[in-house]
Amino acid sequence: MMSEPKATPAAALTTHAVAPGRISTGNPVTDAILGGGFPASTINIVMGQPGTGKTIFVEQILFANAGGERPALFFTTLSEPLAKVVRFVQEFSFYDESLIGSSVLYDDIGADLAEKGIAMLVPRLKEAIKSARPSLIVIDSFRALHDLSDSAAEMRHLIHDVTGLLTAYETTAFLIGEYHQEDIRHHAEFAIADGVVELSRQPLGTRDERYFRVLKLRGSRYLEGSHAFRITADGLDVHPRLVTPRIPVTYQPAGERVPTGVPGLDDMLDGGLPSGSSTLLAGPSGSGKTTFALQFALEGVRHGEPALCVNFQENPTQLARTIQRLAGSAAADLDVLYSSPVELQIDSIIGELFRRIEAKGIRRVVVDAIGDLAASTSESHRLHDYLYALTQHLVVNGITSVFTFETAGQSTTGGDLNAGPISYMADNLILLDMRGEDTMRRTIRVLKARGTAHDQDIRTIVIGPDGVRVT
Amino acid sequence: MNGAASEHALILVVERDPHVRELEQYFLEEAGYAVEFAADGITALELAGKLHPKILITEILVPRLDGLALCRRLKADPATRHIAVLIFSILMAEGRAREAGAESFLHKPLEESRLVETVRQLIAGRSRPRNRELAQ
Repeated sequence: MMSEPKATPAAALTTHAVAPGRISTGNPVTDAILGGGFPASTINIVMGQPGTGKTIFVEQILFANAGGERPALFFTTLSEPLAKVVRFVQEFSFYDESLIGSSVLYDDIGADLAEKGIAMLVPRLKEAIKSARPSLIVIDSFRALHDLSDSAAEMRHLIHDVTGLLTAYETTAFLIGEYHQEDIRHHAEFAIADGVVELSRQPLGTRDERYFRVLKLRGSRYLEGSHAFRITADGLDVHPRLVTPRIPVTYQPAGERVPTGVPGLDDMLDGGLPSGSSTLLAGPSGSGKTTFALQFALEGVRHGEPALCVNFQENPTQLARTIQRLAGSAAADLDVLYSSPVELQIDSIIGELFRRIEAKGIRRVVVDAIGDLAASTSESHRLHDYLYALTQHLVVNGITSVFTFETAGQSTTGGDLNAGPISYMADNLILLDMRGEDTMRRTIRVLKARGTAHDQDIRTIVIGPDGVRVT
Repeated sequence: MNGAASEHALILVVERDPHVRELEQYFLEEAGYAVEFAADGITALELAGKLHPKILITEILVPRLDGLALCRRLKADPATRHIAVLIFSILMAEGRAREAGAESFLHKPLEESRLVETVRQLIAGRSRPRNRELAQ
């Protein structure tokens, strides 16, 4: 196996075209994950529990490759009636009525299998090859054949025979099945398959997270790991896992400073934040984090540095109002990426973030807030990997970033800060706080500023119509 | 169907794989050729001497006498050197096929239009490679 050792930013994957000798999935991102698409003339298993999107994924492949001289054949066995398969595919944008019956052929062999047994499969495939000369063959479900076989020996013989036939003829095969992880060790088809991809689904709160994963792809490199996807009207919308970039050996942090846009803070930081550095801005609710972060982004806009604000907390109208108040005419130039925390999916947000960075030459990024990203995934290690990869991508590209994090209560030392990996990944750590009962006093403290002489004292801040300022 | 095919030109196929044999036979006969089989290189050599096929199609990996050695033996014998040889193999061995004297080479798997077109060219006496494998 040639697995994926190379760092590839998510954004770069979207521009990858299907390679010669490859079968496109109909989605450039998925093709890129597969190293350019499925290698042609191979046998591939698409596994996953019911409802994970297997059939849709493979039908998308069929329609993406249909229209040539040789058709694609889709055999249904005993998992889902043909009528259902055909009815649901029509809901997707890739479906093309004009291809049915000529370039895309459906055939229900369930009744014959039930009557004659699994031994009928190879003669039926052979007959189809002779009469239709298919470039693609799909069997859905292949796993169902196990339930019809009289013995393990009979099934093994069938798999040997199917493999022989599909290898003899120039066709690319997709065997769909509701396989479990343990089936990989026990079912012979996994040994003969050239490619295995898994579609999975995990509940997260009131919604599900779906993942696409390549388990095996002979003769091809591929992007390892779980890649989030959604099923949309266009089929599978896949977001490649963010991979940590290699930091060039020649990499040197930029020495110059960028102004924060918060009056008084640049003096505490010896002139501003180091260009290309990452900053964690922590504090309780109401301490001024969002305003501070917006000021930082807008200061970039004023200095001709395109800035992006990723926000999960404020509602878009409220956020627009705040930006307008702080920025005036500069407001229109700030790029805002809003996502509801309820629908937030970390992979899609990161993917979109990188698309915008690349497309707009973004130099400053604000993420408000990290806690929402943490809530968007059920796997803490996944968040860790994402944040690490994200901060490294920003560093390598010289983008100065601010991540906000909401603390539960007061903190003057950051020792009780539970911001996860970002707290030690960030170059700078700034704490905002609120004190007092009768009279509220807001404070700021630069707890860490890597490689920068900084004021370590607690200072008072005030929040007025123009934003946050250090007094 | 072209003129050569209409005369039911005989093709001797040396192949062990039952699926490849069946598909080769089907597509070649459908194109108008007559097909005979040999399961190993020695039998193929004997049949070539008796049947004088227009073309011999052989896999390299066949028992008793491999496809390349079979080709060399055919080309060394004045009685059989006129038989055009197409090496059709799972091995990417175009260079070795040429060295052995084969007129053409195709890499598996089987794709009927490429196979039939190659056979047509060989029968028409135009063995110059035109398919993708030979061009590489």
